Amino acid sequence: MTETADSSILDRLTNVSPRTVGVYVFLYGTALLMAIPYLYTISRSFQPREYLVDPNPHWIPPEITFEYYEFLLSESLFVQWTINTFIIAGGATLIILVVDSMIAFSLTRLDWPGQSIVLSIILASFMVPYYMNIVPLYTIVSDLGMVNSYWGVILPAVASPLGVFLLYQFFRDIPEEYEEAARLDGFSTFQIYSRIILPLARPILAALGLFMFVYNWNAFLWPLIVLTNESAYTLPIGLVNLYQGNLETPGLHMAVTILASLPLFIVYLFFQGEIVRAVQMQGTGTTG
Amino acid sequence: MGLRDTLSAGDDEVAKQTMFGVRKQTIEGVVWSLPYLAVFTVFLLWPAVKGLWMSLHDWNPFNPAASEFIGIANYVELFNDPVFWKGMQGTFYFVFLSVPLLVILGLVLALGVNKNVKGKVVLRAIYFSPYILTVAVVTLIWSEVYSEGYGLINYYLGFFMENPPGWLTSMDLAMPALAFMTVWWLVGFNFVILLAARQGIPERLYEAARLDGASTWRAFKDITVPQMRNSILFVVIIQFILQFQVFAQPYVLTGGGPRDSTDTLVYYLYRSAFSQHNYGYGAAIGYVLVVILILIAIINFKVIGTND
Repeated sequence: MTETADSSILDRLTNVSPRTVGVYVFLYGTALLMAIPYLYTISRSFQPREYLVDPNPHWIPPEITFEYYEFLLSESLFVQWTINTFIIAGGATLIILVVDSMIAFSLTRLDWPGQSIVLSIILASFMVPYYMNIVPLYTIVSDLGMVNSYWGVILPAVASPLGVFLLYQFFRDIPEEYEEAARLDGFSTFQIYSRIILPLARPILAALGLFMFVYNWNAFLWPLIVLTNESAYTLPIGLVNLYQGNLETPGLHMAVTILASLPLFIVYLFFQGEIVRAVQMQGTGTTG
Repeated sequence: MGLRDTLSAGDDEVAKQTMFGVRKQTIEGVVWSLPYLAVFTVFLLWPAVKGLWMSLHDWNPFNPAASEFIGIANYVELFNDPVFWKGMQGTFYFVFLSVPLLVILGLVLALGVNKNVKGKVVLRAIYFSPYILTVAVVTLIWSEVYSEGYGLINYYLGFFMENPPGWLTSMDLAMPALAFMTVWWLVGFNFVILLAARQGIPERLYEAARLDGASTWRAFKDITVPQMRNSILFVVIIQFILQFQVFAQPYVLTGGGPRDSTDTLVYYLYRSAFSQHNYGYGAAIGYVLVVILILIAIINFKVIGTND
C-alpha cells in the first residue's frame, strides 16, 4: 500500500519512475512491432526478386524496381477491381445512409402502429450471424439474377441493421422542441427530416458512412461467393486470386498489398477520428 | 415524446390528415420505413428463414423444386461427420487462442494510453490502423512475415535457434500463427472501444479511492472493471462472434492444412455449399453455428454481465 503511494508521489515529482518507463517501453514497443509488417511490406514491394528470396531481409532496398507496380497497373485487372470496389463500397454506403436514416427517422419521429415490433425485429436480427445466411442468401441473389453484379454485393450489405441501430439511438435523443417549433411553422415531414434531423446528425452520419465504406471495401466472404467473374472482383478477391495464381512472386504480393490499401489509408489519414468514433459508438452505446 | 403527444392530442388536426381512414402519420411512417424494410426482408430475414427450410432438404441447386425433403437427416449426418468435428475443434482452438489475447491486449493498451503518456495520437493511429485493412491484405503481408525460407520472423529467430520452424506448415504452429496475425489485425478495434470506456469513468472516483488509501490494484478491481463492464462485455461477445466465424485466414494461407489442423466451421460450410454444391448441408452448418453463438452469448452475459 505504502509502496504504491510512494511510487505515485515519485511519479509526479520526477515523472521517470520505473513504472512510467515500463509503460512507455510497452506502449511504444507494441507500436513498433505493429508497424514493422508495414515497413517490411513497403520496402519489399520495391525489391527485385533476388533480394526478396534472400534469407537475410533487406530493410533498405539495395536496388529499386517498379516492375510489380507496372505489372499490376498495366497487365492485371487491378484498375478494374479498384473501380468495382469503389462502386460497391461507395454505393452501399450512400444507400445505407439514406434508407437507414429514413427508417430511423420513422421509428423515432413518426408515430405509427407496429413500429415497436419492427424495431424489435431489426434489433433481434443482430443475433443472426452474417455467415449463417450465406447459403440461402446465395440462392436468393442467384434467383434475382444478381450474381456477378454490383447489386448482388450492395443490397445484402444494405440489409445490415447496424446503421439503423446507431441512427435510431441518435435520433431518439434529439430534443423534440426543435421539430415542434418547425411543425408549427408549417414544415412538412420531409422538411423536418432534411432540414432539422439530418443537419443535427451530420457528425454521426459521417462516422457511420466512413465506417460502412471501410467495412464494405474490405468485405471478403460474400464477394468471394457472389463475384465469380474475374472482371467483377473487388480488390480483396482479386488480391487473393492474384496471390494464389502467382505464389512464387512475393514482390507482386507486396505491391498489390500496398496499392490495394492505399485508398483506405488515405481515408484513414484524413478521417481517423470519424472511423474511430463509429467503432466507439458501437461499443459504448453513446453517440456523443 | 412531446411531438407525439401534441399530435395525438390534437385530434381534430389528425382527423383532417387522413386518407381512406388511415392516419397520415401511419402512412408516412410506413413509407419512410419501406426502403430499408424491403431490403432487410429480402436479404436478411428471408434467407434466415429459407436457410432453415433448405437445411431440411437434400437441396438441388439446379432445380430447387426437385429438392427432396429429408427432415433432420442433414443434421444427423453432420453430427456423424468427422470433418465437421475437426472444423469445430479448429474453430474452438482458434477462438481460444485469439479472443483472450484480443481482449486483454486491447484492455492493457487502452489503460496504458489513458495514462498521461506523450504521443497518444500516434499510438492510437498505429494500434488501430491494421483494422482498416482487408483480411486479404493481412494474409498476404503475414505470408511473407511467416515464410519459412525468407520470412522476417525466422531470420531473427535464426540468431537464437538452429532450425526455425515453418509457421504455416507445422501442424502445431499453423493455428497459433493465424491467431496471432488476427490479433495484430483486430486488436485496435477493442483498444479504441475500451479506451473510450475508460475515459468515460469520472476521475473523481479514482481521487476518492486514492484519498481512502486504496491500492492501484484495488482501484482497478473496484472501479475500472465494474465501470467498464458493459464495454468489456460487448468486446468479448463481438470477438467471440467474429472469431467463431474465422474463414479467410485458413482459406488464403493454409487451405485448412497442414493435415486439417487449421480447418474451421465456416470454411467447411463454404466448401460444402460452394465447392461440393451441397446447399442443404451448408445451410445446416450455418444453423448449428447460430445455436453455438447464441449459447456463447448467453454464457458471456451470465459470467460478465450479471455480476454486480
